[in-house]
Amino acid sequence: MKKMIALGFEGSANKIGVGVVTLDGSILSNPRHTYVTPPGQGFLPRETAQHHLQHILPLIKSALKTAQITPNDIDCLCYTKGPGMGAPLQVATVVVRVLSQLWKKPIVAVNHCVAHIEMGRVVTGADDPVVLYVSGGNTQVIAYSEGRYRIFGETIDIAVGNCLDRFARVLTLSNDPNPGYNIEQLAKKGEKFIDLPYVVKGMDVSFSGILSYLEATAEEKLKNNECTPADLCYSLQETVFPMLVEITERAMAHCDKKDVLIVGGVGCNERLQEMMRIMCSERGGRLFATDDRYCIDNGAMIAYTGLLAYANGMSTLLEESTFTQRFRTDEVLAIWREKIESSNGLMEKSV
Amino acid sequence: MDASASAISIDCKTLPSHWDFSCDFEVDYESEENAQIVYSALAVDKELQPDKVKRQMTVSNGKLSVHFEAVEARFLRASFSAFVDVLTLATKTIEEFGQGTEL
Repeated sequence: MKKMIALGFEGSANKIGVGVVTLDGSILSNPRHTYVTPPGQGFLPRETAQHHLQHILPLIKSALKTAQITPNDIDCLCYTKGPGMGAPLQVATVVVRVLSQLWKKPIVAVNHCVAHIEMGRVVTGADDPVVLYVSGGNTQVIAYSEGRYRIFGETIDIAVGNCLDRFARVLTLSNDPNPGYNIEQLAKKGEKFIDLPYVVKGMDVSFSGILSYLEATAEEKLKNNECTPADLCYSLQETVFPMLVEITERAMAHCDKKDVLIVGGVGCNERLQEMMRIMCSERGGRLFATDDRYCIDNGAMIAYTGLLAYANGMSTLLEESTFTQRFRTDEVLAIWREKIESSNGLMEKSV
Repeated sequence: MDASASAISIDCKTLPSHWDFSCDFEVDYESEENAQIVYSALAVDKELQPDKVKRQMTVSNGKLSVHFEAVEARFLRASFSAFVDVLTLATKTIEEFGQGTEL
C-alpha cells in the first residue's frame, strides 16, 4: 500500500516552515526560515507576515524537491489554525487554500500545541508522558486523558520564552539563532546567583513579575558592578526552570505518569533538560526531549499531526479553513489517540 | 504577476455610497477558474471590524472585483493594504503552482 503523505505549513510566529511527512512519522523534508530581528527588538505581526510572504513559495518548492515528490503524491494539506499571531497565520492559510483548489487536495486545520506534542511523541517514542510545552508564546503542562490533551498547569501571564526573549532585549543579546540560545550560552559563564522572585501559584506559574523586576533592576546592578550579564542569565535560568520542573512534577503525581516529554522552542535548552532529567530519574521515570530541528516550530509537525487526523477521517472544508489567535490545546479531540488506546485495550483482553 | 493577472485597475472615490470612504478595484486573471480560486481563498477571512470596514467581492468574465467601504480613511487604508498583500500572495501561488507549471 502506498504510504500516506502530507504537506504541512507552519507560520504562527517568527518561523515559516513547510514539511513533508508520511504517516509513520518519517520526515521527507522540513525546510524553514526564521525572521531574526536586530538585538534589542522583538518581532511584530506586520513585519513577520511580510517575512513569511517573501519566503513561503520558495520553501514549498524546496520541500517538494528535497522530498522528491510531486503534488500528485500528496494526500492532504495541513496548516496551523492557531494559536499564534493573526497576520503571520494568514499567510500559510491563504497559500493552503489556493493549493487545495489547484491540486484538488483536502485541507486539515491543526492546533499548533497539539502538533508540538505529536511531533515530540513520534520523534522520541514517548508513549504517554506528561508534556511540558514551553515556547515564546506558550507555557503549559499537559497530559492526555479521555480523548483530549488536558492542561494541568500553565502560565497566568506571559510565556517563559517570552520572558527569556524580552530579558535578552534588556541585555541587547543577539536574536540569532534565537535569544534563548544566547542566554543559555552566557549563563554557562555565570557564577553569582542573584535572588529573583520565584512565582508558582498552585499548578500555575507567572513570569511577568520576574521580567519586570529584571527590567527595573538589571541596568543598575550592572552599572554598579554587582553582577555580570552572565550572572543574570544564570540566575534567571536557575529561577524559572525550577518553577517549570515543580509544576511538571505536581502534574506527574496527579496523573500517576512517570515520563516527561519537553516540547517547544525553550525545550532545546539543555539546562532545563538536565534539571527535568534529574527530577524524572528520582521518580523512576524518563525524560524525552528533542533538539532544535523538532523542538522549534516547523512544517513537519503540522503535516504529521494533520495526517494523523486525516487518516482518522478528519478534514476541514475550504469555507471553514479559518485561523485564530486563540485556540486552546484541550479544544481538540485527539481521535487518533482514542483509536490506538481502544485497540490496545482489545489486544489486552484477547491476551 | 502578468501571467495570470494581466490588469489591475484601482478606482478610489470618496463619494458616499453607504459609508464615507470607498475603494473599488479589479484584477483581470483572464481565467474564470483562477479568479474563482482567489475569490474562494480570500472570502473565508471576514473583515476584522465589520462595523468599520466592509468588503464585497465578485467574479465575472475572469475578473475579480473588490469593493471596500469604511467609516474612516485610516481603516480603509489598513484593510486595503492587508488585503492586497494576501491577494498578491494568492496570485503568485497560482502562477508558481498552477496548471502547466513545472515543479
